[in-house]
Amino acid sequence: MTMISVSTDNFQPVATDSPVKVDIRNLDFFYGDFRALKNINLGLAQNRVTAFIGPSGCGKSTLLRVLNRMYDLYPGQRAAGDVLLDGRNILDPREDINLLRARVGMVFQKPTPFPMTIYDNISFGIKLYEKLPKSELDGRVEAALKGAALWKEVKDKLGASGLSLSGGQQQRLCIARTVAIRPEVILFDEPCSALDPISTAKIEELIDELKNQYTIAIVTHNMQQAARVSDFTAFMYLGDLIEFGETSRMFTSPEKRETQDYITGRFG
Amino acid sequence: MNPIYASRRRKNVIIRALCYFAAAFGLSFLGLILFTLFWNGLAGLGLSVFTQMTPPPGSNTGGLANAIAGSLVITIIGVALGAPLGMLAGTYLAEYGRHEKLTTVIRFINDILLSAPSIVIGLFVYVTIVLPMGGFSGFAGSLALAVIVIPVVVRTTEDMLLLVPNPLREAAAALGMPRSLVIKRVAYRAARAGLITGVLLATARVAGETAPLLFTALNNQFWNLNMTGTVANLPVTINNFVQSPYDFWRQLAWTGALIITLSVLTLNVIARVLGRERNTQ
Repeated sequence: MTMISVSTDNFQPVATDSPVKVDIRNLDFFYGDFRALKNINLGLAQNRVTAFIGPSGCGKSTLLRVLNRMYDLYPGQRAAGDVLLDGRNILDPREDINLLRARVGMVFQKPTPFPMTIYDNISFGIKLYEKLPKSELDGRVEAALKGAALWKEVKDKLGASGLSLSGGQQQRLCIARTVAIRPEVILFDEPCSALDPISTAKIEELIDELKNQYTIAIVTHNMQQAARVSDFTAFMYLGDLIEFGETSRMFTSPEKRETQDYITGRFG
Repeated sequence: MNPIYASRRRKNVIIRALCYFAAAFGLSFLGLILFTLFWNGLAGLGLSVFTQMTPPPGSNTGGLANAIAGSLVITIIGVALGAPLGMLAGTYLAEYGRHEKLTTVIRFINDILLSAPSIVIGLFVYVTIVLPMGGFSGFAGSLALAVIVIPVVVRTTEDMLLLVPNPLREAAAALGMPRSLVIKRVAYRAARAGLITGVLLATARVAGETAPLLFTALNNQFWNLNMTGTVANLPVTINNFVQSPYDFWRQLAWTGALIITLSVLTLNVIARVLGRERNTQ
């Protein structure tokens, strides 16, 4: 048994048989002078889904965007502390950001297909890292689309624009694109908030399958969604990590008053 | 009827009538200009306009072939010089330098350049190129047009790239794409129609410019596409012919004006159609 360590004293460490893939230690995050994350300590278990929940502005998306250093695109945003991916600190300035992002993929709130064909949307990412013969590339594109449960719907129109798909299909295309470059961790930033219930159900099923191969972190506003898809849940409030633990326990017997108030809908 | 609502409705009717009137007032001038151009220009429009050279004084035969060809070449070279520079600068403003202080400064200077009188730009090129080179040249004309093209293209490129939603850039970056590829393969592609529209509008803008060519390309009565010498061009030809005492020359000037206007109109329509494609994508 390995432990997911939560080093702040008032948390119960979570016991699991999965090793820690991403270890967040003493993480602070700043937008200019504003401290948006306050001393976060949290571990993401390998091949498990960890959900970040909390009211708007609590820092859950900010935390997610630290994990692939998306914040690096914007001056004035900075992180302090350590984020260890397989024991290596990704916040190290010498870390190659593009190679990091190949290992830590991200799916966004709104579907963001590139303005190109369905095929190119997938093959583009692969070609960034591998030079493959056409037949092999075709195979990879097919595998990625199958992995995102989209193959059946698009196999006859791979040459059509990615923008011609429905919202739910576009989001699965984005998941396929992320899966295609074979990352180790996938970050989902409210992936269903722009989708209808049926598309949402498909994405949730997909996340459940993806965790066999990937370590997953998901930000969601929807507590039922967190309860359905995640193994672990982190409840955040105003930049603090209030409580972290197994989802089944968090939703039945939360230890903190704030957590209980939030998940029972009393605020947030 | 409720009196507050009734007065609001009355105001609405009045304001709407004023808006219609203002629109009609503005459009009527455009209509008048087009009508006058067609009325006076169409009479001289024939095949000879496109096949014969500009006439010498007193002659009653001739066309605008050399001026049309010269204008085409000067404009194309001008746009070819100015558009890439403008696009690169616009790309810097919208992509690399979006959060830099320098960007505000560049944008401000660009806006000044955008509204600089074109005759000033003609004089600038006259002093910096024509005088040191020892004579008027088609190339100097192209340079002057390029200086006008640059700020227009900088502006449209920046505006179009800023319209590309940021999540698209983040999504590309999230795949581990370096900045240059994100811009080249994703942002440019998403803004493609708008970028082409910008270049077309800049082309339309300079196609009819006279002042910058007066001091640079000057004009030429003969067929010459050698850019180191003076090159015939439509705007200056029109300018010269319109002031002449010969009826035939004045007729040619009207016809030339019609040709320029129709070309600019065509470019604008193409730009509009392309722009619409972007919006319905």
